[in-house]
Amino acid sequence: MSDTSLQKTSPGRRMRLLAPPFLALPAVLFLVVFFVMPLIDNGMRSVISNDGGFTLSRYVSLLTDGFYLWIIAQTVLLSAGVTIISIMIGYPVAYFLVRKAGRFSGLIIFLLIAPLLTSIIMRTFGWQVLFARRGLVNNLLVDQLGILSAPLRLTNSPEIAIAALVHVLVPFMVLSIATVLQGIDTRLEESAKILGANRLRTFFEVTLPLSLDGIGTGAILVFMIANGSFVTLVLLGGGMQTLPLMIYQQFNTTRDFGMASAMSMILLVIAVSCLFLQLRLVRRKGT
Amino acid sequence: MNRDWINLGLAAFVVLFFVFMLAPILIVVLVSFTSAGYVSFPIPGWSLKWFAHIFEYQPFIDALIVSIEIAIGATILSCLIGVPAAIFLARSRSTWASGVMTFLLSPLSMPMIVIGFASLFFLSLIGVGISFAALLITHTVVCLPYIVRTVAGVYAGMPRSYEEAAAILGANPLLTFWHVTLPLIRPGIMAGSLFSFLTSFDNLPISYFFGSASTNTLPVVMLSYMENQFDPTIAALSTLQLLLAVTALLIVDRVYGIDKMTVAG
Repeated sequence: MSDTSLQKTSPGRRMRLLAPPFLALPAVLFLVVFFVMPLIDNGMRSVISNDGGFTLSRYVSLLTDGFYLWIIAQTVLLSAGVTIISIMIGYPVAYFLVRKAGRFSGLIIFLLIAPLLTSIIMRTFGWQVLFARRGLVNNLLVDQLGILSAPLRLTNSPEIAIAALVHVLVPFMVLSIATVLQGIDTRLEESAKILGANRLRTFFEVTLPLSLDGIGTGAILVFMIANGSFVTLVLLGGGMQTLPLMIYQQFNTTRDFGMASAMSMILLVIAVSCLFLQLRLVRRKGT
Repeated sequence: MNRDWINLGLAAFVVLFFVFMLAPILIVVLVSFTSAGYVSFPIPGWSLKWFAHIFEYQPFIDALIVSIEIAIGATILSCLIGVPAAIFLARSRSTWASGVMTFLLSPLSMPMIVIGFASLFFLSLIGVGISFAALLITHTVVCLPYIVRTVAGVYAGMPRSYEEAAAILGANPLLTFWHVTLPLIRPGIMAGSLFSFLTSFDNLPISYFFGSASTNTLPVVMLSYMENQFDPTIAALSTLQLLLAVTALLIVDRVYGIDKMTVAG
């Protein structure tokens, strides 16, 4: 009796000796000092007025002034739009990858990951070349097909910025959904078909509900990254005004650092909410 | 019949999807070989002059050196503090350890522009200011999660028996780490380092805030170049960068296997 319990506990104790908790200390301390402290400092700057007193006036204007509310709304709407488009494009691709690709699945995964190796500047530049005045699209429309008489001015439009964001983020969506689809027991789908459901009904009543977790994981990830996106919008923006762009502008031209800090805090609250949702989803999957 | 049409439609959709995914990248590669003096497509002829032009523009060279130094520095620093943390976290099942893991990965979830903006002010406050050290510190904040996640992922999949055997045979923890644990987690360290290097090298939202003549990274210089002119030099530089990333990936794959890299997800 005592012998078996000794056998059970002793490897555990030895492992604890090999990997004691203080090993995590340097990393934790580093992030506390250089990640958490700057954010706290930022929060303080957002509530200290220019003459040194405490103020909430910046948050009041951010959350009541129509101009700022519209900026926050545009930020959230842009991220939500990019997320929804990514789900609609990503789901069929993930489904194909898991259920139909067969020997092509390796190639598909490679093609999904390859764009992640390119720099953000390269991809943005690519969109500019495609839609520039003398770019591929205008060349096709004007010279080759003769549909238009003069080149379109396409580069600075929100549609291109959204397309570019979807381009960067949709691989994350495909991989999140594919992971969950992979785990679905196909016998459930077969049972539905045997019981008389057609392909469409089987998909909507069995496959889709079972893959909601993957959609959720992907959606949070895509929303979170789109929410903080900045380079794409600076170069392809098309007149959209989002929080990251306003922070950039406040820092660069207006130089109202207090306001930029308050905007950062709003952006941070959105990001932390996403992180919280993500953790809940992971926990639910774990149990 | 109906079934075939659905499958065909799905396959066509996937093909279109990859046209969408690859078009903006391939067009940049093509434009980098243009003989024209401006960006246009289709290109009138082939030339390598834009690759030569990269090396005639001194700020690109200076920034490239800064970028490489920062990417290597931040990756080494991340490994030094991240690998021990990952070793502990991969084997601990306590709830607070999973809390620590969440905390160490949390910089990935925060908007980079906020990290950059907040760090600029905080580092100036404590006297680091706009400097090489400041750039190194902030890049390490966003590189560390990649090391921790990948190493912990690889290590969690390793059986404990090797280390137990070493310990039973009398090796002290340090010897066990050096001769057993480290070789086991080396694929994780390599893969994490690759992600970390590429993340740092491509970072713009953080580096932007720490720009100065001696601390401008390559993306920062490329951005300001693009704001002033639209010529194929950026395409040539991007193509070189892609070549570098693909080569690095192939080397890591050849030595350790890409399948091992994706263990951590």
